[in-house]
Amino acid sequence: MSAYMGKLLYIDLSSGKSSEISLEKELTKNFVGGKGFGAKILYDLLPAGTDPLSPQNVLMFMPGPLTGTLAPAMRGCVVTKSPLTGTFADSYFGGHFAQEIRFCGYDGIIITGAAAEPSYIWVDDGKVEIRSAEEIWGLDTFDTVEVIREELGDETVKTACIGPAGEKLVSFALINCEFNRHAGRTGTGAVMGSKNLKALVLRGRKTVQPTDPQAFSKAVDQAYSELSADETIAGFTGDGTPASIDFANDEQLLPTHNYANGSFEGAAGLNAEAQREHFWFRNVACAGCPIACSKVGKIKTGRHKGMISDVVEYETASMIGSNLGISNIREVAYLVKKCDALGLDGMSAGGVAGFAIEAFQNGLITPDGTGGLELKFGDTAAADFLIEAIASRRGIGDILARGVKEAAKTLGGNAADYAVHVKGLESPAWGPRSVPGMALALATADRGGCHQRAFPILYECGGEWNGEPVDRLGLKDKGEIVAYLQNYLAGVDTLVKCDFAAYGIKDETYAATLEAAVGEPWDAAKIRKLGERVWNQVRLFNLREGFTRADDTLPKRFTSEPLPEGPFAGALVSLEDLSRLLDDYYAERGWDNDGRPTEEKLKELSLSDMPTLVRHP
Amino acid sequence: MYYLRGEFDLCTGCGACMLACSNRAAGGYNPRLARLKIFSENENLVNRPVVCTQCENPFCLNACPFEAISRNEETGVVLIDKQTCTGCGNCIAACPDEMIQFDSGKKADKCDMCEGDPLCVKYCVPRALQLVVKQPKQEVKAG
Repeated sequence: MSAYMGKLLYIDLSSGKSSEISLEKELTKNFVGGKGFGAKILYDLLPAGTDPLSPQNVLMFMPGPLTGTLAPAMRGCVVTKSPLTGTFADSYFGGHFAQEIRFCGYDGIIITGAAAEPSYIWVDDGKVEIRSAEEIWGLDTFDTVEVIREELGDETVKTACIGPAGEKLVSFALINCEFNRHAGRTGTGAVMGSKNLKALVLRGRKTVQPTDPQAFSKAVDQAYSELSADETIAGFTGDGTPASIDFANDEQLLPTHNYANGSFEGAAGLNAEAQREHFWFRNVACAGCPIACSKVGKIKTGRHKGMISDVVEYETASMIGSNLGISNIREVAYLVKKCDALGLDGMSAGGVAGFAIEAFQNGLITPDGTGGLELKFGDTAAADFLIEAIASRRGIGDILARGVKEAAKTLGGNAADYAVHVKGLESPAWGPRSVPGMALALATADRGGCHQRAFPILYECGGEWNGEPVDRLGLKDKGEIVAYLQNYLAGVDTLVKCDFAAYGIKDETYAATLEAAVGEPWDAAKIRKLGERVWNQVRLFNLREGFTRADDTLPKRFTSEPLPEGPFAGALVSLEDLSRLLDDYYAERGWDNDGRPTEEKLKELSLSDMPTLVRHP
Repeated sequence: MYYLRGEFDLCTGCGACMLACSNRAAGGYNPRLARLKIFSENENLVNRPVVCTQCENPFCLNACPFEAISRNEETGVVLIDKQTCTGCGNCIAACPDEMIQFDSGKKADKCDMCEGDPLCVKYCVPRALQLVVKQPKQEVKAG
């Protein structure tokens, strides 16, 4: 008995056939699940240079071996090759969808090919059916979920679906996993759309059974007590992520006016107090999570009165709020919900809209492309127009739908100077000019500009490393900190952990839970080694796709334009600084100067002779 | 005598109650096999726990043709005797809250209050599930 279900579901939409792939021992031992499975299987299945929007790309939904159990706050991830970045992409989602994959009897679902007509997949306790989606094609994500529930006659089925943006192959379209839970980043929704796949719907009655139930219960109780004792976790329960608005604003990390600035005079309009005042009713949690960082309610006053809104979490509150100069949280909630409904990643949408407004100011976008509308910061109407135009690919929206990197190429002029992205992924809401460790984390994140692969800000803003205070603006230790965090997080992303719970649950406890679940010895050091293996496996994928040291870089706004004001006025991360950081980081990783893992390192991680473990059936 | 009560205003919908319950009831984790449910409405604005309240006048007990269901007079818990249960399904059809389902052995299965220390309450961090002391009817006074 083990918490593994023992197989992967493989569906080829071109032939309409599905089959099961047994889990190889080498796969579970070396890659565990989640990001680990995704990293190895994408490398095994995808020939180099595959067009992300071709039928040959694979779209995978990967839970981990603890997902679906009582182990607190476990999730799933979508893994594919990104149409936005061309890199390996892993995009994480909460809610209840990943759990249902396991209850259907699988440790992951692999989808390849493309359906001839709009379709959805219905997996009912192991029975796989491909059904027509003619009736739901074009619907927003909320209506899609509702119509599918009606059609199947069950309110409890679990749905992952795309909105109109995914159907139209917008490069930053998301996959919605029901009600403010998304595989948001890197354009996984466009991959789904390219397969003519509107939704994946699940219902399962199988149970997940740990190898050692007593030890498992003990480890789970330990995790629960660690979460209840932790102050950071209490903060998530009380205020959710919008509490970070005040922190980021004080520390000059808050993107404002397309990252021109690091603080926003209207920040108090977006924070937890503002959200509580205007619409929060209650706490809501993902499956098996005692933290409940989500806050759902109804907008009490104004033109959106009565609209149900989930918490506007930090990233979208910033990217669609301060980054666009909008300080009214009710308007931001409306815009974010519109992104969710249309199936757009709100973070990238905010980045793209900020870029578009600046391009308009510079004359590269003209009123001809906007139906006469003037694009300006602080204007909900401009943001509303852009979101709609992008999702439908109308007018200027067609160019912007490719993301800031590609849009800048098309618009020409100096547009690339203020296209804020790394490897094509619009940057998250952490302007890094006064935190070079964070800058390095963005430059080296495997899927492009991402804050979730390492978040050294907490060390740089008053933290310690090896018992010494960290010099915020300095470069010392930053390479080591970033590599350490990336390895640790990649390790627990095989489970698949929640980013927030990881602040409370200790690494030994994750290891003890995994050990009891699967009956293999695990400890904290082994999980870090696992993380390093997974990180290097992903690096091998990206290198094979042609990425080099030159791609581990930062947007010009961060390297050449100093922060204009405040206590960190003048701060930036120059290209020289970045180069030094990369040297340190590559050395720490055992990579050569071009960012390639050495043969010695690959041997140490058991990757040099790792055979193909998963093949197309 | 105690019974379970669930509050929609506090339930976060995490379902830890159902996971813990299913593991005891079915020997593994799956909320669909738990002896309680949560219904989520309006984009999760409302998460409504539905639990067996060990009814004063249990329809399941009334519907059973084989006297397989009885009440423990000391605790007030309504219990199914699996030896006597024939799996006819009358009780399942009778409970309007759908608090009874078949177990893997095709016997009717319901909440037994974990012998007085319910796991669902233990894992309900938001305290949406609570044990409530049952007041005898004659002691409940108006005003």
